[in-house]
Order: sequence, then C-alpha cells, then structure tokens
Amino acid sequence: MVVNVRNLVKRYGDLLAIDHLSFSIKEGEIFGLLGPNGSGKTTAINCILSLLKYDKGEIEIFGQPMRPDAYDIKRNIGIVMQNVAVYDELTVYQNIDYFCGLYVSDKGTRKKLVKEAIDFVGLGEFTKFYPKKLSGGLLRRLNIACGIAHKPRLIILDEPTVAVDPQSRNRILEGILELNRQGATIIYTSHYMDEVEQICSRIMIIDKGREIATGTKDELKAMISLGEKITVESYSITENQISEIGNLPGVTSVEYKNNILKIKSGKGTNNLETILDYIRKENIHFGRIYSEMPTLNDVFLEITGKELRD
Amino acid sequence: MFMHVFTYRLKCLLRDYQSIFWTLLFPLIMATFFNMAFSNLNSAEAFNPINVAVVNNEEYLQDGSFKTALEKASTGDGRLFNLSVVSAEEADQMLRDNIIDGYIIAGRPIKLVVSKSGLNQNIIKSFIDNYIHTVSVFGTILSKAPGKLQDLLNDINNRVNYVKEVSTTSAEPDNIILYFYSLIAMSCFYGGFLGMREVSDIQANISPVAARINTAPVHKLKTYLYSSAASIIIHLAEMYILLAYLIFILKVDFGSKTAYVLLTTFIGSIAGFSFGAFISALVKKSEGLKVGIIISVTMLCCFLAGMMNQDMKYVISKNAPVLSYLNPVNLLTDAFYSLYYYDTYTRFFTNIVMLAAFIAVFCSGTYLIIRRRKYASL
Repeated sequence: MVVNVRNLVKRYGDLLAIDHLSFSIKEGEIFGLLGPNGSGKTTAINCILSLLKYDKGEIEIFGQPMRPDAYDIKRNIGIVMQNVAVYDELTVYQNIDYFCGLYVSDKGTRKKLVKEAIDFVGLGEFTKFYPKKLSGGLLRRLNIACGIAHKPRLIILDEPTVAVDPQSRNRILEGILELNRQGATIIYTSHYMDEVEQICSRIMIIDKGREIATGTKDELKAMISLGEKITVESYSITENQISEIGNLPGVTSVEYKNNILKIKSGKGTNNLETILDYIRKENIHFGRIYSEMPTLNDVFLEITGKELRD
Repeated sequence: MFMHVFTYRLKCLLRDYQSIFWTLLFPLIMATFFNMAFSNLNSAEAFNPINVAVVNNEEYLQDGSFKTALEKASTGDGRLFNLSVVSAEEADQMLRDNIIDGYIIAGRPIKLVVSKSGLNQNIIKSFIDNYIHTVSVFGTILSKAPGKLQDLLNDINNRVNYVKEVSTTSAEPDNIILYFYSLIAMSCFYGGFLGMREVSDIQANISPVAARINTAPVHKLKTYLYSSAASIIIHLAEMYILLAYLIFILKVDFGSKTAYVLLTTFIGSIAGFSFGAFISALVKKSEGLKVGIIISVTMLCCFLAGMMNQDMKYVISKNAPVLSYLNPVNLLTDAFYSLYYYDTYTRFFTNIVMLAAFIAVFCSGTYLIIRRRKYASL
C-alpha cells in the first residue's frame, strides 16, 4: 500500500472534522476524495502530510509511519495545494527550480527536471513571467509544476482546478492521467463530481468527515436503487397523464416543474421506449427528450439526502 | 541547500520593492528632510558679528583710544563687530538699507544712531557704555590718585579667572545629532518587516508557501535560518548605505570610533530583525495587523527615544529611567551618542549588552513558537 489511513479522528474544539476515517491506496491508483465544501477533504490531506495534529488514528505512507521529520517519505511526495503557493518575486522558471531544489540538490538533474515540468504543464512560453502576470489557469499550472517537478511517487492534488478556465482544466486533468501513466500514485480531492468520475480509478465520498461510500464509479452507482433518469421538455402534459406515467412499470417517481418532466426508474430498468410510446399515443407535444444514467451526485443524494453542491 | 535557499531568498528580497522602500528609501528620504530642517539650528545658535559703521569725522580720527578699541573689537575670529568706516551720509544710507544695525558718531558724548531696538543694538550700546565707563575710571584715578595708575594697569593685565572649564570629552554637545541617531535606530527596527516575512514564510498555518515548504524534506528551522541569513545581509547592506549617506553626504558627525559605529549598526539591525520575527510568530493574525503592530511599537519607541521631540528622552531619563532601558530604540540611539560624545566606553557597552539581551529574548521567543512541526489548524 502506498497510503494507509486507519481510524483517523480530527477535532477543532467541539467540531468533529474527521470522524474515524479509514482508507488504503494501492500503487498506481488515482484515488479520488469527493465531498462538498467543508466535508473534511483538505483536513484529511493535511493530516496525511503531517501538517496537522490529529486526535486519533494512524497514517502510513510507503509502509512507514508518517511524521514531520520523515524526510525519506517526504522526498517521494509531491503536493499541489488548494491555494496557489508560489513566490511573487520569482519567475515561473525560478519558482519551479526553487521548490524542486528542496528535493533535488544536483543542479544538472534539477535543470532537466524543471524543463520537463515546464513542458509538462505547457508553460514553455512563460518561463520568464512573474506569477502576477499569469492568468488564473496558468497560475494553477505553475502551482502544479512546483509540486511535481521532482518526479514524486505519490502526488497529492487538493482541488487543483478551482477557478480555472475549461481549457486549463482539461489540460490539468490530462496531465494527471499522464503522471499516473508514468507511474505516480495520485490522491485527487475535488467537489466536482464530473472530474472525479473522469479520472479516478477509485473514489471515496465523504461528508462531515465520515466515509459515505468507497469504490469504483460503477461500484458506487450500483450501491443505489436509482436506475435511468428520463427528462422530457413539454408544456402540455395534464395531471392525469403525469399520474398514468407514474403507474408505468419500473417507474419509481415522476416530477413536473417549469415545463420539465423528470421520470426516475428503478435500478436495472430501461423505460425510454415505453415513455416514448406513451407520449406518441397521447399525442403529447415535446421539445427534447433525453435519458441519463445515475451520477455520483445521485449516489451522494440518495445516501445523504442532499446534493453534493449544497 | 544553504546556497540554494540563500540565493533565491536574496532574489526575492531584492525584488520586493515595497520592502526596499520602507527599509532603505524611506530612511534616506527622512534623513534628507532632517538635514534640511535641522542644518540651520546649530548655526543659528552661533554668534554672528554685528554689522556696524562709524562715521569717519574729525573726532573719530583724533580719539585714538576709541578708534583702537573699535578696531580691536572688529578683528579676529571671535570679533564682535564687522566695522565699516564711512561718511555720515553713507552710514545713514546703510542703516536705511538694513546693511548695518547702527552707526557710531565719535565725539563727546559718543552717539549711537539706530533705526530700531534689538539685541544687536543693545550690544553696540553696551560696548559704547563700557568704553565710556572705562575711560571715566581712568580719568578719575588720573586726577585723584595718579600714583595708583600703575596698580590699575597691573590689575587689568593680571585678571584671574576663577572658573575653569574641564571637558570629559573631546566632542561638542549636539542635540540635533540625536535626531539622526534615532532615525538610524528606527531604520534598524524597520528591519522587523524582513523578520516578519521570514516567519510568515515558514509557518504553515500562516501562508500557503510555508505549507509547501513544510511538506519538503528539509528541516523547517534550517530553511528559516538560511533565508534569514539573506534577509539580514540585505538589511545590513541597507543600514550601511544609510550610514554612508549620513556620514559622507549629509556630514553627520559619528565621532572617530568607526568600528564601533559599524558594530552598533550591526547589533541594531539584528535587534530589529529579531523583533519583527518575534511579533510575527506571536501574533497569529493577518499580515496587515502584524505590519501595524511593528510600525506602532517602533514609532512609540522612537517617540520615547526622542525622535519627535528630543526633550522626551530626558523626561523619560529623569522621571522613569527604567523605561530608557526597556526601550531598544533608545538603547540604540544612546549607544551611538555615547560613541560620539564620551571618550570612555562604559555607557556604550551597557547599551550594547542590554540590546543583546533583547535579541536573546526575541530569538528565544521566536524559536519556542515556531519550533513545532504540526499545527492545530491551518
């Protein structure tokens, strides 16, 4: 195991920020920590990094207990903080070189690593720029480069795409997949479920510091009773028709609001054809009709009773 | 590792223009203003010879003793008068043009013409009165007891001064110089901004950069010491530039003990840096609040050390002498003045030892606060 966390408890006074959290991460995984803001993702990461004191629990990295002076472990960890952590007075190149130099003392090796990191995040044209001259997306890329330039075995990325434009976000996500392909184990925290679904091989959903569910995205979706979701845009559905749709086989709930009809089916049920037949038979006018499979938000909603973005 | 952290820290500090302004340019500007404001104060206290004229008439030419007395009072470095011998019309015109404070018309009696009353006019009048009195004494003794004339001349030639001026120092007392010394002390304590930043950049619960450094495989106190070395070098360089500006451009007198002046500046610089680091470690609030505290405490100490009003230094020394020793800015100012004024080193070393004690307290306090490696919250 690359990371092994057992029974982690962290309190801020009366507030229980991490509530007996346990998980393990295998080499080569992209492990996603998904949860709403304030769910304890960053607190858990800071405990893993030995930045925060915790009340109870054990944390091992690369099979060794993690401590502030565990420099051999730290040498193999790369951290990309939620807040951009660079020096405003140093250029892009100098920032990457400075932080890389805290891990790699040989100048020649470092020069090569810094160049690779710059190419990796696509900041080649901006090496002489100061951070204040960079856009939000480029700044985030610099933040990532500073964290990964020394080629760590374990990379922890804490919400690296917050306030980033779509182009930079895609680049960052592709980069994370590439780092993983190169052999790095990744811990990725986010409250964006689509990102986590897109890149993570295993996901832990947490809320109020507690584990809600852990598994692959398919395993997580299989945990809930919800199956297909069908949405119909129409302005001419009667109360009687809504009631009849609700009574169709496999349909578990129907909701009509603002000319949008939402039909939910039970697990393993496919109702799109049945619904379309009913609409044709009743001659209901509609604009669009589409079907979706459950998302991680549905998983979160069904288990906690609230939306991920709440 | 040392050179890596040290050189990058130097680059950071040299590009931090706001910090450079407050720790270097601001003191230089203040020194220039001080020089403009105070340079005339000492010269205003010096006595300037009085411009006076004497009418070049027959009586003046014949009254040899008066002529001699006037010429004697108008020669040499410590002369009383700048004397012009002119015609009555010219003297009148010079008085109207304010070129002279008055003019004398020799004769019996000797007349003084002035256009207004004032100190200079009184001095001229006193001179004339004194001359008339002396001439009168001589006349009286000559007519009543001519035999005593020799005794009188002997008495005049053998005047004994019963008060002897003994100086404990080779320097002249100079209150204005205290303003410049307290300015250097203030600048030393503005080094607190650099100390503040060093601590902020190593405390993971204060800045994201510090959190990143705390996750690196380097002991955080080593990183702190390496980058602090860069800060202290920068601050020392700034202080020595200020010192050079004061000595070579503004011609502020620091006495002849140059090595001790440099040592005092070095100790002051370390004291300022460690003070800022201590405040930064102690106050777990925003950077703005820390800057506010450093400026407020420094300015209060400067005020009590006499930077805004030199009398304050003496008021404190007289009424609450303990405060003088508890004020590091005052200790620094006093150390410079001791070097300038006293020939002995007792007072200077007392100040230096006290400052060293302050540095020890600030550094120990900072170490005790920042040594922890895990935080309760970030």
